[in-house]
Amino acid sequence: MDINTKELKKNAFRVTKVRGVTSSRVRVPGGLLKAEYLGKIQKIAERYGNGTVNLTSRQGFEIPGIPFEKMPEVNRELQTIIDGTGINQTGRARGEGYPAAGTRNVSACVGNRVCPYACYDTTALAQKIDKVIFPDDLHVKIVLTGCPNDCQKVRMGDIGIMGMTEPRLDPERCVSCGACIRACRSKSVDALEKVHFRPERDSYKCIGCGECVNACPNLAWTRSPEKYFRITLLGRTGKKNPRMGVDFIKWADEDSVIRIIRNTYEYVRHYINPDSPGGKEHIGYIVDRTGTEEYLRWALKDVHLPDIAEVYTPLNWGGIEYAHNKYFGNQRYHADGTIVTDFSEKTR
Amino acid sequence: MGYVASREQFGKLFSYWKKEYDIWAPKRFPGGGRFSDTDAVRYAVVQEPDEIEFEVKSAYSWKETVLPPSETLFYFAQNHVEEAMPPLRKRLVFLRSCDLEAVRRMDQIYMKNGDPDYYYARKRDNLAFVMIGCPASCENGFCVSMGTNAADQYDMSIDAADGEFRLDSRRDDWSAVLAAAGAAELDVKPCRVSENKVQVRVPENLTFEVGKSSMWDQYDSRCINCGRCNFVCPTCTCFSMQDMYYDAGGKVGERRRVQASCMVDGYTDVAGGASYRKKNGERMRFKTLHKVLDFKERFGYQMCVGCGRCDDICPEYISFSNIINHLEEGMKEVQDHDSSK
Amino acid sequence: MTAANNYIPFPTKIEKVIRHTKTEYTFRMHFDHAEERVRPGQFFEISMPKYGEAPISVSGISADTIDFTIRKVGVVTNEVFERYEGQELLIRGPYGNGFVFDDYDGSELIVVAGGTGVSPVRGVIDHYAHHPEKVESLSAVVGFKSPDDILFRDDLAYWKDRIDLRMTLDSAKGQPGYREGFVTAVVPELTPKDLANTKAIVVGPPPMMRFTVAGLLKLGLPEENIWLSQERKMCCGLGKCGHCKIGNVYVCLDGPVFPYLKSKTMVD
Repeated sequence: MDINTKELKKNAFRVTKVRGVTSSRVRVPGGLLKAEYLGKIQKIAERYGNGTVNLTSRQGFEIPGIPFEKMPEVNRELQTIIDGTGINQTGRARGEGYPAAGTRNVSACVGNRVCPYACYDTTALAQKIDKVIFPDDLHVKIVLTGCPNDCQKVRMGDIGIMGMTEPRLDPERCVSCGACIRACRSKSVDALEKVHFRPERDSYKCIGCGECVNACPNLAWTRSPEKYFRITLLGRTGKKNPRMGVDFIKWADEDSVIRIIRNTYEYVRHYINPDSPGGKEHIGYIVDRTGTEEYLRWALKDVHLPDIAEVYTPLNWGGIEYAHNKYFGNQRYHADGTIVTDFSEKTR
Repeated sequence: MGYVASREQFGKLFSYWKKEYDIWAPKRFPGGGRFSDTDAVRYAVVQEPDEIEFEVKSAYSWKETVLPPSETLFYFAQNHVEEAMPPLRKRLVFLRSCDLEAVRRMDQIYMKNGDPDYYYARKRDNLAFVMIGCPASCENGFCVSMGTNAADQYDMSIDAADGEFRLDSRRDDWSAVLAAAGAAELDVKPCRVSENKVQVRVPENLTFEVGKSSMWDQYDSRCINCGRCNFVCPTCTCFSMQDMYYDAGGKVGERRRVQASCMVDGYTDVAGGASYRKKNGERMRFKTLHKVLDFKERFGYQMCVGCGRCDDICPEYISFSNIINHLEEGMKEVQDHDSSK
Repeated sequence: MTAANNYIPFPTKIEKVIRHTKTEYTFRMHFDHAEERVRPGQFFEISMPKYGEAPISVSGISADTIDFTIRKVGVVTNEVFERYEGQELLIRGPYGNGFVFDDYDGSELIVVAGGTGVSPVRGVIDHYAHHPEKVESLSAVVGFKSPDDILFRDDLAYWKDRIDLRMTLDSAKGQPGYREGFVTAVVPELTPKDLANTKAIVVGPPPMMRFTVAGLLKLGLPEENIWLSQERKMCCGLGKCGHCKIGNVYVCLDGPVFPYLKSKTMVD
């Protein structure tokens, strides 16, 4: 059997541990698709795979147990799903499957189509971003979440987008019930204070979660017509230095979000180590190499942030460094209490 | 006098009104709802006929036209007080039958329960009412059960359909404007709801004894005492006073009244720390019996007009009509308990 | 012609400040023709711009003055305590029904009051202490928490000689003229001669009123011969703000004085 694994992977199939057997990876930007495509996925799984479907960690589907020789047929079957999920297929003919798999599915929480806390339509923005970045092979993870609850865990992605609203108070509708102040204190960051019977918002503290708006019985608090976003940067999992993404911009607008994503792809293309294994180098490690300043220079190129936006500086990441044994604690114990080794020396 | 008017002909009347009135009507605020990308429909001054929301019931009631959420009573500078000015213009209010019936309830408290309220009275004299017809029942309303589906004390009725307006004018000058604009005369009866999906029955034997029923207990935990039901209610009249000042020294400021809710903490607090009705179930009982028992005992007719707004807005899906319909059971429970003693 | 603005307070001069305790003062205010215009048991809203308003019952009435006995318990009353003789207070009122002497004239009258509850009935006791011929007899049972809480010392001394006055302190032994305990302990010792003609007024904290009424009923008083005064939150005093509503009753309009027969049906 002669198969170009590079080509196979780019076509969104996987080299599995069973020789000659692959799995098909179905991209679902924002994790939302019409139910009818589930039937299609079922059909592929039952006809070509082993009858099971995996829900992937990034909201796609993986259909395992497909013999290599069935890939052309699977690709033909996938076409309606590719069309239905709005995937940009540029670079590959119809009926020949996905044009790339490197750049990760844009994942998103359920968003404001369903969730009362969400500050924007995460699905729509995920689909919009997917149009901007796909097809591409660069290994970038973009994560969208509707509000600062961050159910989608954006800080584990390279670029995290967290919805915000700027609460607006119509003081003449305020009846001093205190619901917003209590909600902000107990569920958020305690950014409201009662001044002359009415809430006063500390915009420095405010994280734009909208709890005050949801709590207000009288629509004294409403949401800004503008949708805002907190952008977090360069969180990651993996074998070297897993870490949480840090705040980059608070109160960014959608145009800036998209522009920064474009810029980031250009930066990666420019600086990626062509010799990296599989041609894949994680963006965070590229930034470690070029320095954060250089990345920011690229990322903010032609970005026109709204006046309200706040850019964080400097950006500092922490996290765990397996190679240097930098843990939250320096010592490890066996279950019986004996010390494994004392790392405090090495860490210093 | 009945008329059928085109949009343009109705626009002539609207312009005529605007010379004399601020026109308050249900208005849609795109994106102005509580949740992201939702609209709000609430009362506001409208400048054009197209701004009037004829389809969807306003989430907040007509009462904001006379009892705004917050109203300045007077300004003070040291011991000198200066009365807040009345609205400069008369007000014309677009409202549905249930709300028009609610006007009578509001008048009952503000004009007839003790001396007339100065601030209400000076606005009340300058109100005119245009009743929006209801071609179909709204989802949670129970106006037919409350007898509020056929309000008649309007200055004009209006039904908007198929790009034209059917109007029943009771003001000669308005009729004249319509006639001059070329509106055709027509025998017009406003659209009425004759049946609701929701029906209620207030038991004949209802007394405060029902307060002893266990029916209220569930609301201790279900209700979150947010007060939405009161703030949207077209018949809730309560307010609290607030003094605020503009300068650091506190010599210059204002006294205002803001809408109050008997469901919200602090409503019954007296100086020194005592308060009544700590449990949400007790508050629910208090509110319910005001709406369907004690107001009637005092004034001879039910307070609740069955507009259903409290049901529409409750974030915990507590249905007021459902509570009314459980009163009979509640009375039975109390009576059975008493008779078994 | 619109009626006068019933929310705007008017200034009245502080004629005298009588300090009963650290936290309880009586402010004697100038008020023209007070005796014709005000009844004991009625109340005013004392209005302190910047701080708000507080309903205060009238604790005394003379030809041209009214008394407010005020306990310092909140922002408004704290501020009132900063005022002194010669200054003015803004007030509006009177509100409520008050005590109607016709109801009690000629009876064997019992007045039971606790703490600041003495204020609204002070006018009643004082009236009959000055006109003992108008009642068959007058027994007043007056209780305070501690010697530091005693109100109206001068009045008590005056009343002592003219009526059957019994005084209690919740927790203090050996105070001359006072016995230790609650007023409710004194009630069973009262000995009305003609129960049908015995009338009682009870004012104080809700539990005290409950137990006192129980005691009076046990003595054999008819329910219809008992009156209570209710305290509730009141923002307007005009039957509008709703805070004082109990059942179908607005305390500010229909009370604060209620016949017990009505009061017992009122559920908060």
